[in-house]
Amino acid sequence: MKKNTGKLIGLLCVSVLTVSGLGGCGSKAPAPTEKAPEASSDAKTEQAAPKTNEDILVAAAQAGKVGNWGLGNEYEVKALLTKYGQDTSYLSQAFDMDGFDDDSITLASAMTYNELGLVKNDYDGGYGYGDSVNVIDMNDEGVAMLEDNIFTTKAFAEANPNTVKAFLYASIKGWEYAAQNPDEASKICFNYGSSVSEDHQKYMASEVKKLVETDMSGNAVSDIGNMDEAAMKQTLDLAKQYIKLDDSVAADKLSTLTLDDIRNTSYLTEALASDGKFDNLEKTDVSIQLKWLPQAQFMGYYVALEKGYYDEVGLNVTIVPGGGDISETTAVNNGTVDFGVTWVSNLIAANAGGMDLLEVAQIYQRSGLVLVYKNDNFK
Amino acid sequence: MSRKLKRKKSLWYRIHQNEKVQSAETVLLPLLFGFLFMIMWQTQKLHTLLHTDTFTLPLPSRILTIIADNSDKIMLNVNATVIVTLAGLVAGSLIGYGIAVLAALFPKWGSCGLKIIAAFNAIPIVALAPVMTNWTKDVSNHADIRSMVAKIMVVTIVCIANMSINAYRGLTELKPFSEDLMCSYAASKRVTLIKLRLPNSVPYIFTALKVAVPSSVISALVSEYFAEYIVGVGRQIRENIVLAQYSSAWAYIVVACLIGIIMYAVLMIAQSFMLKKRA
Repeated sequence: MKKNTGKLIGLLCVSVLTVSGLGGCGSKAPAPTEKAPEASSDAKTEQAAPKTNEDILVAAAQAGKVGNWGLGNEYEVKALLTKYGQDTSYLSQAFDMDGFDDDSITLASAMTYNELGLVKNDYDGGYGYGDSVNVIDMNDEGVAMLEDNIFTTKAFAEANPNTVKAFLYASIKGWEYAAQNPDEASKICFNYGSSVSEDHQKYMASEVKKLVETDMSGNAVSDIGNMDEAAMKQTLDLAKQYIKLDDSVAADKLSTLTLDDIRNTSYLTEALASDGKFDNLEKTDVSIQLKWLPQAQFMGYYVALEKGYYDEVGLNVTIVPGGGDISETTAVNNGTVDFGVTWVSNLIAANAGGMDLLEVAQIYQRSGLVLVYKNDNFK
Repeated sequence: MSRKLKRKKSLWYRIHQNEKVQSAETVLLPLLFGFLFMIMWQTQKLHTLLHTDTFTLPLPSRILTIIADNSDKIMLNVNATVIVTLAGLVAGSLIGYGIAVLAALFPKWGSCGLKIIAAFNAIPIVALAPVMTNWTKDVSNHADIRSMVAKIMVVTIVCIANMSINAYRGLTELKPFSEDLMCSYAASKRVTLIKLRLPNSVPYIFTALKVAVPSSVISALVSEYFAEYIVGVGRQIRENIVLAQYSSAWAYIVVACLIGIIMYAVLMIAQSFMLKKRA
């Protein structure tokens, strides 16, 4: 009996020692390397009083307080960090802005139409910072990548060309109406089961309107849904540079992707040139997978559904909300849904990984991603 | 005579009775099954059987290639996950055992307290992890350290419940009359604890660890999803799946399995050493 107790205590001691040893390895090693830059950034804030975007980004990056959600949303932030010669590591940001609120993240990622509204406004769920916060805009910095699009699989597009055109025609009509009447569109979205308050929905609609109607350089867009060649190219180039894939086969494929592998403009061109009458629809019951929860980010589809635009072209459309870890690329690829909304960079990564997806319209013409900071933190 | 004949007839039976053959069988049969399974997987028979494709379920050869190509990066992530798992496991088991000893010494409120602890077992890790991440924000200025603390705390809580309930049984469910015997010796509570209860609880500790080891690996993997600092096998699985990189995701899934299997094997070896003389 005594022997066993001795053994037991011995085993416990040994395990505690090994763990503390291992723990020591993990925590001690990075500490000195990270302390040095932090001290220097403190010194910098005292002397130079940074004000330009570069100064702010460098200060935040040196302190290790740049945040992003990761999971394919991080490439623009990585590109910006690289542009100013910083390491591309960032903190994993939760889907709320609490980390920004308590300063554990001083330069936080935010979508203009969602998180930025929550940070600035003081309606229900907002943090009410108002004008005491400022942003670094990816479009101004030249590292913008295109976001929300409409995509399907190459096989589906080839087998159902008329259905694709009809769906695009009605969806673009919905987006046009929504962009002209954002307030009404926001109410429609709210009624379709919203995850956020009515006030925030209204704010979101007004911001999404800007993304749909203005391009990366701030000019007005003539055709909603247009796949601008230069913007697509910039997105693809940045994607090739910053999407890091462990799988060598996928990485090789990524480096050889061209625009023709990821988008086809003919469906949209023919849809918009048509009179809105589509005969011989190959499939009348179709579904579209959203990238996120039902909200004004996707108001065009909800408007098209509510106003009966889909019915007019003979389609019975189901809108499938996303959220969390639902991967819209996988859902479309395996045929669970027919169409999807995703960011162009995600589509590029999916095609590199072996999917055969095809973008058929580009709804957002500029990047909605900004890095938000409190002015007080970078005086 | 008749006995001899019977023996000759059942040669197969006699081979089976041979201890060496038996122990070889326990190793060989699972190995053979695993080998067949891998062949079916590699030759895509498994894909036909499960109605899936090589995109969702990549071939073993491709998965192994990815593991070989990225060994440095994978080791970095494995280190992070293993440190969290072991630290949480040890901390949780020690605390859990301590609680069990207290509960055994003071049975009146002890058993009641254990029921509350058992309720902790029901908290989903996905609910616990973000709470811990928020809670540990002031622990350190370095995101990697405070994330590690948050992850360890999740694993710890999962292990505490497990260990305390099992150890309590080991400390209280004694051999009949042994407690009465100690009473008749007028042994103090302390002596009863050291001489009777603690040794009696050793097999129960291993019962607890057998459950705690796999669940601590899973807790570590899931808590990485919510951690601020991006590192760990679990996080890599999630990143790759969201980016539709199924081959890479599978590579990390295989690595996660290996971590669990190796830790379990180490536990089994430790158990056979510790419990050898008791049998």
